[in-house]
Amino acid sequence: MATLRDVAIVGVGYSEIERRSEKSVTQLTIEAAAAAVADAALTFQDIDGMASYPGSYDSIPCFTLIDAAGIPGVTWFADISGWAPAAIAPVIDAAHAVALGSCQTALVFRSVKRNREKAPGVVTTPRVGGDMQFRAPFGDAMTSQWLAMWARRHMHEYGTTEEHLGAIAVTFRDHAALNARAPLRDPITLDDYFASRVVTTPFRLLDCDFPVDGAGAVVITTMERARDRPHTPVKVLGGEVATGERPDWEQWPDLTTMASKHASDALWRRTGMSAADVDVAEVYDGFSWLALCWLEDLGFCEKGEGGPFIAEGNVRLGGRIPANTHGGSLSGGRLHAISHVIECVEQLRGEAGERQVEGARTGVVTAGGGTMGGALLLGTNY
Amino acid sequence: MIPLPQPDQETRFFWDACARKELMILRCNACHLYIHPPRPACRRCGSTDVGPARVSGRGVIHSYTVTAQPVPGYEPPFTVVLVDLEEQEGLRLVSQIVDVEPQDVRIGMPVEVTFRQASDDVWLPFFAWRR
Ligand SMILES: [Zn+2]
Repeated sequence: MATLRDVAIVGVGYSEIERRSEKSVTQLTIEAAAAAVADAALTFQDIDGMASYPGSYDSIPCFTLIDAAGIPGVTWFADISGWAPAAIAPVIDAAHAVALGSCQTALVFRSVKRNREKAPGVVTTPRVGGDMQFRAPFGDAMTSQWLAMWARRHMHEYGTTEEHLGAIAVTFRDHAALNARAPLRDPITLDDYFASRVVTTPFRLLDCDFPVDGAGAVVITTMERARDRPHTPVKVLGGEVATGERPDWEQWPDLTTMASKHASDALWRRTGMSAADVDVAEVYDGFSWLALCWLEDLGFCEKGEGGPFIAEGNVRLGGRIPANTHGGSLSGGRLHAISHVIECVEQLRGEAGERQVEGARTGVVTAGGGTMGGALLLGTNY
Repeated sequence: MIPLPQPDQETRFFWDACARKELMILRCNACHLYIHPPRPACRRCGSTDVGPARVSGRGVIHSYTVTAQPVPGYEPPFTVVLVDLEEQEGLRLVSQIVDVEPQDVRIGMPVEVTFRQASDDVWLPFFAWRR
């Protein structure tokens, strides 16, 4: 076994982020990839590794980007399929590949262009197989419904309220107002939250991430190479992807705690660090309650205290642990956590402008909800 | 149109039983653990001697969501429920509760299976409030 090398993120980039982009998903991907490579002062010729999580969305596999961008060849690549914590999984896999020496410089991307013909996750076929045969016939076809039942159970056991969920939406919107890239920047109040239509209780529209078309990319290389790059290297301190003993949306033993608990525990165990060491948290918020659960399971507050913790302003800029400083997915757009990774990098470089968390040196990024969780720890002071 | 199940080798017994208005759950014949969704082996003892067993159809609501937008086969509002079956802790079925107003649904509510016909050959196990 080769010696593990220290690795760092040295480049980040976005495509345009639009509610409805006229560009193809390949155009969006090239745009983000080129921006990330340029940010690292590299060219596509320098890339020899690649990873993505295409998911069930209209995205592209690694081969399409390699071909379209004229990347001469890669010695490692991974298109992650099936259930996975979105953009965190390929970042962690690429970090491992660079650490092991399978490649020197890896490009990781996540592209999301919504399929116009069919809403993602909604079953439209007349017959449904696999485990979905026990959900779809009962009208239980959307991720929002599955996680709504987890959130409801959390409310039942811990007294979490709709006001608490609303505080998440309001807080992240206030952060988005400071982010020029965020598609939703007009401040909202709790009244606006309660006025937004119910999707599936307890989730309203403002509890759901905002669908956009766009792509994000990051460049990962060895710490040794990173020192020659223009930006402060953001070191990968740890990364874990986890599930639990019953990875099933309904049979999961305790619906108040997601795989976030397993991923968080693994991250702290492996790194010897804890929530107390973290300056900024970019936690997955496909739905508001997911962010609450991640904050609890990472240990920023006691289990069950996430609602009051957020409502008291602890995750606001200037609070104890600023979270989703770019507006998250709720107000920054559903880019499946690649934007969370990029935001954390910009924060740790000290390049987040008006929304900069002063002196941020260590950040945690997470992705996934329910049965899957991924947690990534980044830092500049190591 | 309601999305109908596509039974397979491991799940056909479940839907066949529903069509007879019986609720059956796969069970390990060695250690008697109920296994749902059906898998061809027992996660507790490793036995592959598994087979359908009839259950009471009684349980309590573990969680629920009142869906306010249409999904294939259903017009809102309707209440999707997660039912803890009484036979085993944590043995859960997804279903809908019928004949209860959405605002009256509660966690812990006792329920009982009731079968509704969805097509010529498919009956779905719904749940009703067991008062
Ligand atoms: Zn057994």
